[in-house]
Amino acid sequence: MPIIETHNIIKDYDMGKVQVRALNGIDLTIEQGEFVAIMGPSGSGKSTLMHIIGCLDSPSEGSYLLDTLQVSNLSKSDLAAIRNKKVGFVFQTFNLLPHLNILKNVELPLMYAGIPYKDRIKRAREVLANVGLSDRLRHKPGELSGGQRQRVAIARAIVNNPAILLADEPTGNLDTQAGGDILSIFSELHQKGHTIIIVTHDQAVANRADRIIRIIDGKIVDGNLAA
Amino acid sequence: MAISLRESLFIGLADMWTRKIRSLVTVVGIILGVMSIMVVLAIVNEMNRSTLEWMTERGGINKIEVHFNWGNDKSDWSKANFTLNELKYIRSQIPEAAAFTPMISDRESALTKGELYYRSTISGVYPDLPKVEEWQVAKGRFINYFDLDNNNNVIVLGSTVARELFGSKEPVGDYVYAEGQAFKVIGVMATKSYVKPGTENFGNFLEYMNKRAFIPLSTMIHKVSPSQKIDRINVRAASPEEALKLQSKLESIILNMKEGKRLFEVSSAKEMMDEMKKNSQVFTAIFILIAVVSLLVGGIVIMNIMLASVQERTREIGVRLAVGARRLDIFIQFMIQTMLITSLGGVIGIILGYAILDLVGKYLIMQLSASLQMVYVALLVSVGVGFIFGIMPAVRASNLNPVTALRNE
Repeated sequence: MPIIETHNIIKDYDMGKVQVRALNGIDLTIEQGEFVAIMGPSGSGKSTLMHIIGCLDSPSEGSYLLDTLQVSNLSKSDLAAIRNKKVGFVFQTFNLLPHLNILKNVELPLMYAGIPYKDRIKRAREVLANVGLSDRLRHKPGELSGGQRQRVAIARAIVNNPAILLADEPTGNLDTQAGGDILSIFSELHQKGHTIIIVTHDQAVANRADRIIRIIDGKIVDGNLAA
Repeated sequence: MAISLRESLFIGLADMWTRKIRSLVTVVGIILGVMSIMVVLAIVNEMNRSTLEWMTERGGINKIEVHFNWGNDKSDWSKANFTLNELKYIRSQIPEAAAFTPMISDRESALTKGELYYRSTISGVYPDLPKVEEWQVAKGRFINYFDLDNNNNVIVLGSTVARELFGSKEPVGDYVYAEGQAFKVIGVMATKSYVKPGTENFGNFLEYMNKRAFIPLSTMIHKVSPSQKIDRINVRAASPEEALKLQSKLESIILNMKEGKRLFEVSSAKEMMDEMKKNSQVFTAIFILIAVVSLLVGGIVIMNIMLASVQERTREIGVRLAVGARRLDIFIQFMIQTMLITSLGGVIGIILGYAILDLVGKYLIMQLSASLQMVYVALLVSVGVGFIFGIMPAVRASNLNPVTALRNE
């Protein structure tokens, strides 16, 4: 069953006088439980595609079904709820809140989901244990190494049991060792049944995925499932 | 469903704690504004309270006084006089008055008792005087209508007069001499006292009343001082509202009686107090203006700092939006933070305002004290400032686009 199904997605940006077409008719299908890499040169539209898949942005045209839900024309507030429950983000720059300890950081999506404090703490501790950070709960992100920070970010991304896990260059700011650890975590999560989408321009990273989707000039040129 | 207020409050508190110094500096304007509100309210409260106390001690706010109009032509002074018949007529025209007494005063008249001698002001009055002045008789009784009808030589002494002439001995039943005549002491008035807090050195403002003595008006006119004019009437109205009506009624009665000449002036304690309140309102308005200006300035400073904070925290807002915060959540978070900061300012302002009350009181020679009402007003105002000036930064924060917010460096 496809977890992501897009039809002819177009995204235009208004740059003053000229309109820039970032995505030009994307038809993409990703099945439940897949591990997919999206590759493309910078400016190819892969980040825009990721934003739309992650419901941070809406397409100008086309339809997008996420977990069988039509999300292409939802309100901003509904999109926020989708991001909260269906999507987990992992960023290149980690994007942890520096003044909160890592337990609080991981708790954040649960807080916006309206889950009671005690349940939040319990769940956040669980996922932090899964990424091997049980002994760092009260540390601030600044006190951790890059690899550890990215593990916190992964914990935050999966704490709400999202339908998809979206990672944008998750190893871009890490050394080879730490990057390898992070990719192993993704593989583990994949084995547990998570659907994972990694955006990268690093072939070695992309090779960990089951399938590589290549995008150039706002169009998928390779790797889509046979129509 | 939006994030709960409790969570927002918690986020706000944590934020404020992280930026302690900034939060504190931000609220200086609010602190000053709240302090001035505290001080103004304390001063106004104290002014009203002490005015009322003074008025009450002086005979209450229902008192109306008719006396020679010094603003009128001085040559009319000899005509400024009421006859006994005129007094009766005036009294009959104002049956609603609770008490009524004319007054003739003989200043600097000597009272003697054996070897002892005291310069007092002897007044000829009606039996109503204690009622008009709300002045109790401490010992014995006051002059009655029998004394008045019979021109009796009876006298009621002020407490200082009694002490000076009799010491610890019992004055009631004994005799004193005035103007060559013997007067039987029938009573002693209660001591009148008004010491203004902070001006204890000046002593009792009402001591002059304790130095007086009272005899029947008829005795004064027929036996003691026939040349004296009756040029003063004191009246007591049933209520402060009645006092103003009675005042204007008396004015027209007397004006008619004296053929349109303004020989007499009619004043009421109520009117005086209203006048004083009006003066204190001007003072209040000036201080409130100062407070409002400093609160406005404080509010604008806070708005600016919060706008800067939104700018600085764009990335954080992006992250919150990415993990599922709704625009309303972000809006509430910033509103609560602004309001927390201003209420922090309010609380500090209340504490500092309380601390300087004594200082200001000493300077103004007033006994200033804080009331719960002041604390409520100050808190409400500081939260209100946070609400008003928090809206714009909160709107700006909640309108951020998640993608651009996340890209922000």
